[in-house]
This record gives sequence, C-alpha cells and structure tokens, in this order.
Amino acid sequence: MNMPAATRTGDVGRPGLTGAAPARPLRTVLSLAGAEAALLLRSMLVLAGLLAGGAVVWRVIWTSEPVWWNAAWQIGYGQVILAASVLAAAQLTASRARRDGMRELYDSFPVSAATRTLAHVAALAGVLPATVLLACASVALTQARGVIGTPSPAVLAAGVMLVLAAGAAGIALGTRFAHPLAGILGGMVLFVLFTQSYRLLAYPALGGLPWLFPWTIPDQLGSLPGPLAGYPPGGAHALELAGVALLAAVAALMVTKGGTRHRMRLAVTAIVAAAVIGVSVAAQLPSIPTAALNRLFSAAANPTAAQHCTTAGQVRYCLYPGFDAVLPAFQAPVSGVLSQLPVRPAPVLTIAQDTSLALDDPPLTHGHTRAQMDRWNAELQVPPPSTATAPAIYVTEGDERAARFALALGTAEWAVNLPAENSPVNPAGACVALDQAREAIAIWLAITATHASLTRGPGIQAVLVHDTQVVVWIYPGEYDNYTSAPGPQTTVAGLLLAKAMASLPEGKVERVLGASWPTWLNWHTTDAQLAAALGIPMPSVPVPASPLPPGTSPPAQAQNPLCT
Amino acid sequence: MITIRVLPVLARHVVRTMPWATLIAGCLAGTALLVLLTYVADRDHQVLSPGVVRLGFLPAVAALAFVPRDPLRQLTQAAPAPAWLTSAGQILLAVPVLAVTCWAQLRLVDHTGPQRSALYPLLGQLTGWCALAVAAAACCDRSRYADLGGAVAAPVSLAIIALAWYSPGIDRLLLTPPASAHAETLAWYAIAAAALALGATALRDRWHRYARVLRRS
Repeated sequence: MNMPAATRTGDVGRPGLTGAAPARPLRTVLSLAGAEAALLLRSMLVLAGLLAGGAVVWRVIWTSEPVWWNAAWQIGYGQVILAASVLAAAQLTASRARRDGMRELYDSFPVSAATRTLAHVAALAGVLPATVLLACASVALTQARGVIGTPSPAVLAAGVMLVLAAGAAGIALGTRFAHPLAGILGGMVLFVLFTQSYRLLAYPALGGLPWLFPWTIPDQLGSLPGPLAGYPPGGAHALELAGVALLAAVAALMVTKGGTRHRMRLAVTAIVAAAVIGVSVAAQLPSIPTAALNRLFSAAANPTAAQHCTTAGQVRYCLYPGFDAVLPAFQAPVSGVLSQLPVRPAPVLTIAQDTSLALDDPPLTHGHTRAQMDRWNAELQVPPPSTATAPAIYVTEGDERAARFALALGTAEWAVNLPAENSPVNPAGACVALDQAREAIAIWLAITATHASLTRGPGIQAVLVHDTQVVVWIYPGEYDNYTSAPGPQTTVAGLLLAKAMASLPEGKVERVLGASWPTWLNWHTTDAQLAAALGIPMPSVPVPASPLPPGTSPPAQAQNPLCT
Repeated sequence: MITIRVLPVLARHVVRTMPWATLIAGCLAGTALLVLLTYVADRDHQVLSPGVVRLGFLPAVAALAFVPRDPLRQLTQAAPAPAWLTSAGQILLAVPVLAVTCWAQLRLVDHTGPQRSALYPLLGQLTGWCALAVAAAACCDRSRYADLGGAVAAPVSLAIIALAWYSPGIDRLLLTPPASAHAETLAWYAIAAAALALGATALRDRWHRYARVLRRS
C-alpha cells in the first residue's frame, strides 16, 4: 500500500504522530509533491497512456502527408489519450486515503488535508515530462515525415495544458469520489467529448463553436492550402485549458476544511480562473475575417491562379505555395504510369492540387451572412478555366498509399481514353467500362506504377448497366475522394484481369499492348480479347448474391451509363 | 462437496458482496451517454447506427471489471465451499443487468429494432468484451494488484478492446467491414470462450501471485 503523504512527512524531518511543530507549508507541499510526482510519473496508467498516445500520433502522422497547421492539432490526439489516463491516475492518487480506509490515519498527521491536496495538484508537474516528451517526439516524427509549414507553439502548448487540466480534474474527482470507477468514467467522458464532438456539434446551441470542446479538429483543416488565422484559435484554446486546470484545482481544494483566509484565497482563484476561461472563450467566438475567407475561397475556386506550376515531360504539376516538397510524391505514380505507355497521348496533362473545400462547415463560416455564403458557394461551383481546354486531375492530400493509387489510376484512365473527370459523358453517375479491355489495362498500369497489393474486398456490390448486373470493385480510397471528381466505376472483372496481367512478366504485357495499342484503347475491345492475346484464361467473376428476378425491370435511377 | 443447504447462505453472501452500485453506475453512465447522443441526433434528423451501442456499452464493461472480487477471499478459502463460487456467483448476477442494459441501449438507438444481420456480430462483440473484462479482473485479482482490482482490470480491458478496434490487421477479423458479419460473430464468441476459460482458471487458482513480495522476502 502506498502512503507517500505519510512517509514523506517523516522524510522532511518531522515524526508523523508525535505532535512536533509542523514544518513550513511550502516546504511540506514541495516535499509531498515531489514524492507524489514520482509516483504519478511511474504509474502504469500514465506510462500506458504515453505509449498509446504515441502509437495514435504515429498512426495519424505516418500515414498521411502532414501539414503543420493540421499536424499540430493531430498531435493532440495522442495528448487526449494521455490526458484520459492521467485523469484516471490522478483520481486514484487523490482518493488513496479514503479508498484504503486510512482517512483517520492521514488526518492524524501534522500535514493537513488541504496541504496534501495542494501537493497532489503540484504533483501534476510529474506528468509534464510525459506530455512534453510526447509532444517533442511527435514533432520530431512529423519533421522526419517531411512536413509542410511551421509548427504553432500555442497549439503544442494547448496539448500539454490539456493533460494538466485532465490531471487537475482527476484530483478534483478523487477528492469527492473514492471509487476507482469514477476516474475511469471521467477518462471516458473526455474520450467521448473528443470522439463524438462532431455529433454534439450538430446540436443547434453548440453549432459553430467546436473550439470550446477540450480537443476538436475541424474536418477541413488538413485540406487548407495554408494556415488560416483563427481556424482554430490555438493560443486562446490553450488559455481556456489553463483556466479549466486552475478551476479544477480550486474545486479539488474546496473540499478540504480551512479558515476564512483559505476560503477567500480559493474564491479569488476561482474568480481568476473563471475570468481566464471567459476571456479565452470570448477570444474564440469571433468569426473568421471576410477578407481571409475571400482569399481562401478564391484560391480554392481557381487553383491554377494561386498555384505554382512546373512542367516535367508532358505533365504540368501545379501546387500551392509551400507545397514543393509534395512534388516528388505526385510525380512518382504519374511517371510510373506514363513510362509504361507504348504511345503517350498528345495533350499535356495537368496534375493540380485540390482543396475540396466545402462551405458546409459551421466553424469555418459561422458569423457570416447567408448572402455572403451564397457568393462563396457560387464561386466554388464554377469549374476552373483550365479544365475546359486541357485534361486535368485534381488531387487532394490524404492517406499516402491510397492517394497515390488514386492518382495513378486517374492518370492511367486518362491515358487509355476512359472518360476523364469533369467529362460531360457522365453528368449524373459514374460510367462503367463494362467488359472493356482498356479498364483492365488502366488498373494494371496503376498496379505496376505503385506496386500496390490489391484485394477484391469483402462482399459483392453490383450496379446495373444496360439492365446487366455488374460486380464493381471499390478501389482503396475511392470513397475518400482523393481525386476531385469520380472517374469510371471500376469493376471486379477489370481488377481480376489486371491482377492476372500483373503476374506475367512486364515485358510480355508491354509487347502485347504495344503491338496494337489503338485496338486496346477502343471501347469495343473486350476483356476476353485481351486475355487471349496475353495467353491467360479469363478470371471467373463472382456472381451477385441476389440477382433481379427474371422479367423484373430495374428502377430507372439504378442504371449506370456505359463508358464509351 | 457443496450441499443444497449451503446454497441459500452462499447466495446471501454473494448478493451482499456484489458491487451493485458500481455495476449499475457503469450501466447508467453508458445509457445516459446514449440518451444524449440520441437526443442530439434526433434534433439534427440524423440516424444513429446500432454500432454506437458499442460506445455506450464501454462504461458497463469497465464496471464489470470491478465485479468478480471477493473482499473476504482469504476467509472464504478456509470455508468448505470453493472460494471461486463467490466470484462466479457475482458474475452470474451481473449477466441479467448487462443484458437489460444492452437491450435498453439497442432500443434507444434504433426504435424499430436493429436488423439481425447487424445484431448478431454486435452481440458477439459485446459478449467478447464482457468476457475479456471478467478474465482481466480474475487475473488481476490473483496478482499483486489485487488491492486495486478493477482499477487495473478496467483499463486493461479497455486497452485490449482498443487494440482489437484500431489495430491494422486484427480489424480484418474482428470488425465489420472488412470482416464479414459471420466471421466477426464467430471470432468474438471464440474470444469470449477463451477469455472465460482463462477467467475460470484464474478464479480457481488458490494462490496469490504477489511476485514483488516474494522477491523481497
């Protein structure tokens, strides 16, 4: 059983139960806090939270192309996990005396309950190394990943403040509720506020004010072409969390008995904490300035005007300022596809960075008039001028492997003359290249360019094309919209044939394709003809589980057009 | 051997030592969360999936980790009846409470009742979580963390659940999608069976595993 508050009292030179004169409170608090801090830092809960937080940050940062204005908040994901575990550990610490049934024993010591609680609050300094280590390691990891932009110290400090505030809340909880379940439920509440904030934000009274939650990242933050002041307001949020930590510490000390001076001090501190919270909340409420949003939506609506373009080979790459580091990641899959083509298409292909910015984002646009929103919406609806004259693929940053495959597939589909994005052929829904050899060729080009290991995936999903059920293949990242508009809907038949092609020597496939390239690009050329030319059997395609009964006419809206 | 006469006495002991407040507090906390989420979703005309019940059931799982604990274990071990009967009885008493919680939460989220295809994997998963919590609690009770009991077992259970939920590779077997509903159901019931076997072994273990104390001595 741990009794540092008792044993350390002896350490500072005073016998515990002999009634010797109490030492100066500050020295006692520091001595106790040192012992409690060491215990807190060595707590299995805190160490496990640190490990889990690190794993979460690694998973979030390592799988995407990081930009600092988003990554600094993503590091907070790990801090939330650490904060939840610190909250539970702090509750265990503060409730130790009552949980072990030793309250009377502790009360018999010269050190008062208020001093012990103050020491518990001060002992939160013990988790500072853990949270700072997590922040620093995450920053190092993000830098190693090749991040764009510069980090915001205020946001990183807010992550540290979140952990301290959760620890103070845990101590406040522990002084009232001795049962360990209270700390665990407290940690869960923090976790729920974090994971369900998007649901809770739907509540009208909370709409547009996500910053008031302990930790929330707006959905579109990672898509912005640059940092946007006040979205989210990092410094004010760090101040809000500091105020919450101070208020929780006061709440913990309120339970302890004390004289009038003690009560007065607590009241004054509580007022200061409330004022800090009020000021920081007020600083987070104002809407983002119209001029800043005008610039943002203008850059999103007409990317080529805001981007820097470089041409390599027959491809023009356009990126927002500061994103030069992304260029090799864009070039690799595109070059990989183009290098395998027997004949390159004549027009220059433009690969442009896209923001996929949407106005349906209350944190971004709250406080602005409906008329202003309509003007921005109209601006975003107009297609960029370049798409009318030259083929272009607009790419959004995201999960690296999936985004690269989506880019490679988009390039390959363009190369084999499958209807490109923004094509008038497909105004309503994605067209399907039903039994067309060029689809399999496009998927094969994407596979060989990205070395992707693909599977058909679970279940069978089918669409209707000319009253024929076609089993479709949802490629990795298809639903994530890495390319700004959906291309043709890929089929399982195309995937299986492409995988069979990928198992053949590359030279053999290239020879067969190069021998009659225009034939393969013709939409009348079938999968069977391609398989025969390659000397491989046609893979068998799974049958949908519930085909339409014979004679049943499918609903008109369920039909997908055929790619021609 | 236990005779029939012992059972009423044993039942009274089990009911009295059962941490009702802890278990019910956990169940109510999760249900309250679901009430809040349902209210917000209704106001915004959103539809909550039955999967949200997983989130609402987590506090109940955490509370269950505090259940299989006999505070008088040293004494009951000296009695003629097996000591594990107390913990086993407590777990059995918790089952209907958890079942009612699960039913209430499912009704809250989906007024019309979820489809069977979605319900079976969900029930399998929740059963697996409960079995994992029981196993973790039984193992902790035999370790040097016995004094803290559920305070250690609950985070351990939640960590295992998080691992199953978020680990790439494992989710192919334990989450729908990518796992099929049938495979997920089977996998979770297999985990539940293994966890219960481990828990039963730990409950029947008569020795405390106080490793640190042994080393010191």
